Amino acid sequence: RRSGDAEPAKFKPPPKPVIVDRQRQTAERRFLSPEFIPPRGRTNPLKFLIERKDMIQRRKVFNIPEFYVGHILAVTTADPNANGKTSRFVGICIQRGGKGLGATFVLRNVIEDQGVEICYELYNPRIQEITVLKLEKRLDDNLMYLRDALPEYSTFDVNMKPQSYLDSEEVPVNKLQVRMKPKPWSKRWERPKYRIKGIKFELPEEKMKEAQKWNKPWLEFDMMREYDTSKIEEKIWKEVNEELKK
Amino acid sequence: MMPMWTKSGKKHAVTLLKVQDCHVLKYISKEDSDGKSPRLIVGGKNGSPFSRSESEMKIFREAGVPRKQKVTTFNVTDDAIIKPGTPLYAAHFRPGQVVDVTAKTIGKGFQGVMKRWGFKGQPATHGQTKTHRRPGAISTNKASKVYRGKKMPGRMGNIYRTSFGLKVWRINTKHDIIYVNGSVPGHKNCLVKVKDTKLPGYKDCNKNPPFPTYFADGDEELPEDLYDEEIFQFTDPSVTYA
Repeated sequence: RRSGDAEPAKFKPPPKPVIVDRQRQTAERRFLSPEFIPPRGRTNPLKFLIERKDMIQRRKVFNIPEFYVGHILAVTTADPNANGKTSRFVGICIQRGGKGLGATFVLRNVIEDQGVEICYELYNPRIQEITVLKLEKRLDDNLMYLRDALPEYSTFDVNMKPQSYLDSEEVPVNKLQVRMKPKPWSKRWERPKYRIKGIKFELPEEKMKEAQKWNKPWLEFDMMREYDTSKIEEKIWKEVNEELKK
Repeated sequence: MMPMWTKSGKKHAVTLLKVQDCHVLKYISKEDSDGKSPRLIVGGKNGSPFSRSESEMKIFREAGVPRKQKVTTFNVTDDAIIKPGTPLYAAHFRPGQVVDVTAKTIGKGFQGVMKRWGFKGQPATHGQTKTHRRPGAISTNKASKVYRGKKMPGRMGNIYRTSFGLKVWRINTKHDIIYVNGSVPGHKNCLVKVKDTKLPGYKDCNKNPPFPTYFADGDEELPEDLYDEEIFQFTDPSVTYA
């Protein structure tokens, strides 16, 4: 090295290899939270537009992670009557309901042999934090049958550590078949209207055949009940993503 | 209808009312109206001009305004008279004001006495023959007549009703939307009349409104959203209790 050279040789870094993983880009997960999709009805679409604006505003300030029914979540809310003014609850998400700002999700856990279910509102300002502890999709969209299942299937450790996961991986589906307590149940889960795939029915054959009497096979071909949300979802997905990036 | 939270964490249900193409149509002076105060006729929501008679169309033509679907009168004080033809906007109301909302209720058609008047009906079992939802007795022996106005089955709904004392939480000036506390009579997208409260308990709440109305081409520029002080705005961080 010589300082004071007339023309120091310019250092050109070697060109970095640019890896374009085409496969990964196309398989990127597009998840639109189900409360963004407007329900069928005669309401003015302006109402949904304004509600979506409010929802996006809230999402900018407070992170609502992507989660499905079957995930194990920990939620901390502000509570004026608790010590430290916050209360934390860990549970499995059994149901996601409601559209727009009133969207809710129900978390279930068994604490000291007592089953507890709490229904939280996603956009309630009292919620301080939502963390996903375990990613796991189940076979059904609605896990209300866990109320009639053996309590071991609803117990989760309150001090569970959050599981680490990659962003690009697909959400794993747990094909667990749950064993139930003896009948009577809160709902007749063997009937075809609930379309449950996640229960191991240990009922005799005649009962299962009798349950099929309430089968309505014409419902899936009913055109009036069709609600194709693919185009609406794409529009809303674009809109939501653009707003969130700002 | 939408949920809405206050800064203390309480949830309230809110109805959205859209102010769509409202214009002042006519001014009737005190003497003409034979009443105690002058009146202003206001029209809402534009509609087709072909289904109304010529005499009704005269008012719209004089005001220079397309035909409106809903036409109502307001009793106004002398200093609140507005020239016919001025548009009215949602910013006429401010958050914190209290308001009465009038509309036609949802029509239920011919309904029985249990749904229409809330009668208890009769038991389902224990020997009742063909009598489960009937009114039972309609008068006494001594009266030997049925009084006028006796509650009986008939057409229910599709009449004007008012809900009083509804607080205005928020106003959207860009889309002309008023967020009003609680529920309002009428079905979705029905036409509604919004007025200042007549309840004496809320006289202090309606201070300093834009008087006589909010003019869009005036000097003041309002932000897109006007919120009441107690509302939790979604740009703030989550609510905590100290």
